[in-house]
Amino acid sequence: MKILSRFWWILPIIFIAIYPFTLGGNSPYKSGVLIFVGIYIILAVSLDLLIGYCGQISIGHAAFFAVGAYTSGILTAKYGVHPMFAMLIGMLISTALAWATGRPVLALKEYYLAMATLAFNEIVITLIIGLEGFTGGASGLGDIPPFKIFGFSLVNHIHYYYFVWIIVFFIIAGSLAVVKSSFGRTLIAIHSDEPAARHFGIDSPRYKTRLFMLSSAFASIAGSLYAHYMGFIAPDDFGVISSVNIMVMLYLGGIGTIYGPILGATFMKILPEITYQFQDYELLINGIILIIVLVFMPKGIYGIILKAINRVLRKV
Amino acid sequence: MNDVSHIIQFLFSGITTGSIYALIAVSLVIVYKASQLICFAQGEFFVFGALSMITLTSKGLPMPIAFFAAVFISVCIGSLIQQVLIKPIQGSSVGNLIVMTIAISLALRGLALIIWGRESYILNPYTKGEPLFVFGASLQIQVLWIVGITILVLLIIWYFFEKTSLGIAMRACAENPLGASLMGISVQKSALFAWAWGAGIGALAGAVVAPLLFIQYTSGVMPMIKGFIAMSIGGLGSIAGSVMAGFLLGLVESYTIGLISSKFSDTIVFALLMLVLIFRPNGLFSKS
Amino acid sequence: MRKLAVFILIAFFAISIFPAGSYAQAQKVYKIGGIFSLTGYLSWLGEYKKKAAELKVELINKAGGINGIPLQLISYDDTSSPEQASKVAQRLISKDNVVAMAGTASVPISGAVASMANRYKIPTIINSGYAVDTAKDPFLFNTSHKTDFAVVTAFRYFQKKGITKLALLMPIGPLGELGSNVARKYAQEYKITIVGEEKFDVKAPDVTSQLAKIRTMNPQAVFSFTTGEPAALIARNMEQLNLKVPFLVSHGNANPGFLKLVANINTEILVPSGKVMKPDALSDNDPTKKKILEFNKSHMEKYKEPANYFSAELADAIDLIVEGLKITKSADPVKLRDAIEGIKNYPAMQGVYTFTAKDHHGTKPDDMILLTIKQGKWEIPK
Repeated sequence: MKILSRFWWILPIIFIAIYPFTLGGNSPYKSGVLIFVGIYIILAVSLDLLIGYCGQISIGHAAFFAVGAYTSGILTAKYGVHPMFAMLIGMLISTALAWATGRPVLALKEYYLAMATLAFNEIVITLIIGLEGFTGGASGLGDIPPFKIFGFSLVNHIHYYYFVWIIVFFIIAGSLAVVKSSFGRTLIAIHSDEPAARHFGIDSPRYKTRLFMLSSAFASIAGSLYAHYMGFIAPDDFGVISSVNIMVMLYLGGIGTIYGPILGATFMKILPEITYQFQDYELLINGIILIIVLVFMPKGIYGIILKAINRVLRKV
Repeated sequence: MNDVSHIIQFLFSGITTGSIYALIAVSLVIVYKASQLICFAQGEFFVFGALSMITLTSKGLPMPIAFFAAVFISVCIGSLIQQVLIKPIQGSSVGNLIVMTIAISLALRGLALIIWGRESYILNPYTKGEPLFVFGASLQIQVLWIVGITILVLLIIWYFFEKTSLGIAMRACAENPLGASLMGISVQKSALFAWAWGAGIGALAGAVVAPLLFIQYTSGVMPMIKGFIAMSIGGLGSIAGSVMAGFLLGLVESYTIGLISSKFSDTIVFALLMLVLIFRPNGLFSKS
Repeated sequence: MRKLAVFILIAFFAISIFPAGSYAQAQKVYKIGGIFSLTGYLSWLGEYKKKAAELKVELINKAGGINGIPLQLISYDDTSSPEQASKVAQRLISKDNVVAMAGTASVPISGAVASMANRYKIPTIINSGYAVDTAKDPFLFNTSHKTDFAVVTAFRYFQKKGITKLALLMPIGPLGELGSNVARKYAQEYKITIVGEEKFDVKAPDVTSQLAKIRTMNPQAVFSFTTGEPAALIARNMEQLNLKVPFLVSHGNANPGFLKLVANINTEILVPSGKVMKPDALSDNDPTKKKILEFNKSHMEKYKEPANYFSAELADAIDLIVEGLKITKSADPVKLRDAIEGIKNYPAMQGVYTFTAKDHHGTKPDDMILLTIKQGKWEIPK
């Protein structure tokens, strides 16, 4: 039993590893479902670092998702830049934006911070639409080539699936490491009582901005992965609605837990694959399911699972 | 005639859109003032108010009755939601509550889709009449109704929150729930009333704005976002502030479109919003 | 209570995971995928498309299918989102194994689906403003008339009426970009001067600021390549400002819903359209007339409303796929694509289709007509 509780995480990894050949049935559609899940896990986890651990609410996360996607898309489709290089540039631009806006924006409180992040998201979107000659505008940007690892082109869906999930794994591991490190503990201190933390000499704006930069870099990676997978991107999917969806994944799964957003992202991306059968009623049913989960699982799905596991462990 | 008339036209355009933003902002502020909660479902009350009134008038009900009935329906829905869904999770974190209101807005939108389908509906203006012409700029008469009703609503709110004991109690609850409950004021009742008010004003906004627009089940999203922006500019707890901010937002939009660029007007407006938030974080009109 | 709720949720999911009827079917059937916007901001037109597609498939099966083999339409909602459209396209391609796809209501959605269609080599007939470049999208066809045709049809009318000064009021979005580019492309040829261009947000409740600016340019007509509510709003605002010039909109407004929206508005509105909207104005030797009247009759019977522009787009899409299947006699998507590309002089509702390796739209400017609205009815403007 002890081995199980220490190494439980090997089970999901094994599931992910063998999925394409088992439940996934070698089908591009089924791999695709989990590829999207993986991309949104990166988004949700990176947002959790910001909201859950640092207490900085953001409804503009999709802006960085867009920066990564469009940088990768434009550089590879229009200028033939190597995808790996383009992804790196996307991360740099995202991080730079986070650094530039971090200090003033993160100093705001709660709803005002939320509004500022919303405004930032909208600015990015309106610029993407406005600079149509460069970005394809509202019509979208197509012909994005598949990702390449040095010379090897990831055309096959199974190759891309593993590529995405390896990145997901590293980002999850990285996020857990950050959270458990002294940097992470400082952030939690800032979150629980910022004035006290500052009183003890912690330069909280600097920490918050650094975390914001890390979070935006991860979101940018997700954007690049998304662009190369879809082959086509449009501003529609990077707006405030998307940011809000990512936030919902967080709260559904359980904020401040890293594992929670993983569950939340999985749930939100798999749910439509089930409820699509209800056609006209799909929207209503999605809303109702969300409500049920929120009312009966206030600590998120992760909270419920933890409770269930504890109960089982106690009985054993 | 040319220059003056279109400067004034921008003014009228700003007042028209600003009046919509102001009303929604008020409904958001009321819920916030009395329960510390931002309700993301306000846009759906807007739609329900508009579509209910349209359906009722098409069934033959006279407009005034349809108006009050539409508001009443939303008040009932809002109260029901508060009792069944919000009350049980009242102690949760701010984020949880926000997400719950988002889920509620999805469900309401899905319900609207089932009831009214996908088409857009129109509502006749409350009074027939040619638009007003002032120095060559024109203003739809319905906008006068909107402004008039907004002023009336503000007066009623002011009277309620300043002069009635229930209203004063609700304000006490918002400022200090523990203290208020120690004084015997029911925090539960207060939250319920807040939602009822919010839903009612949201629906009222929809009913009075509908003649300017074409309403369908997704029409609530944009007003909600704009109302939210107006509330942030005006100061979260300030009703008068959010009304002024709503009109200000409408005016800034229309003057930016008119005088600067219609292509980048949204970019400019959001950039200005960010600046306001950064340099006047408590809102332009709040006291602190 | 909590346990019950959790149990119900789990049971719900368990049941839903077993999708209805997707176990291998013994009998042969041709599967076509439909991608329609049934929720979200495009949902009002998605419904027209789905209804037409379903009716067409029903009619074909009633007539015996394709060489005796029935057609099956599997359709999904793209929720007006390119990401979701990409997903459902994948679902249709690799889960439902369709031989062809049809649908998509907007340019970005078409783009997202095009990416999948090309990747997995499935012929797809889209119907939006997306201009098919056969070098990049060899598997794509488009039964929506090219924006060029709509503009040319309108410009010919303007030339006839002596209208030379045109103002553009374009929506921020793909249609606006398209409309503006195409209008400028043909302006000189038809002796039209574009006196100015303003942009507006399709969600905006008021465009009088933009119209006030436009009024100072003294236009003889206003063109907005926009569909639905925004078009109606501009018409209403034009009336409000006493801007009494003709107002040209997109051909996406050729549907009954639009008539309802502009019912109380007195602005003169011009709508380019396919011939489906006014079959009685067609001469008897117009090759599209017969098909239009037949389909219209069935559409009235089943749905109690006449077919509209969007219906014609889908009816033709299904028709073309069926023609291709008749030629290939197999469910090979690549062969089907070639077969469709080889179709020449095929009369359908949007026009007479002739595809080539370079042209996957297949129709001509003459396949469009210009309509106006008088007393709630579609009329040909004099």
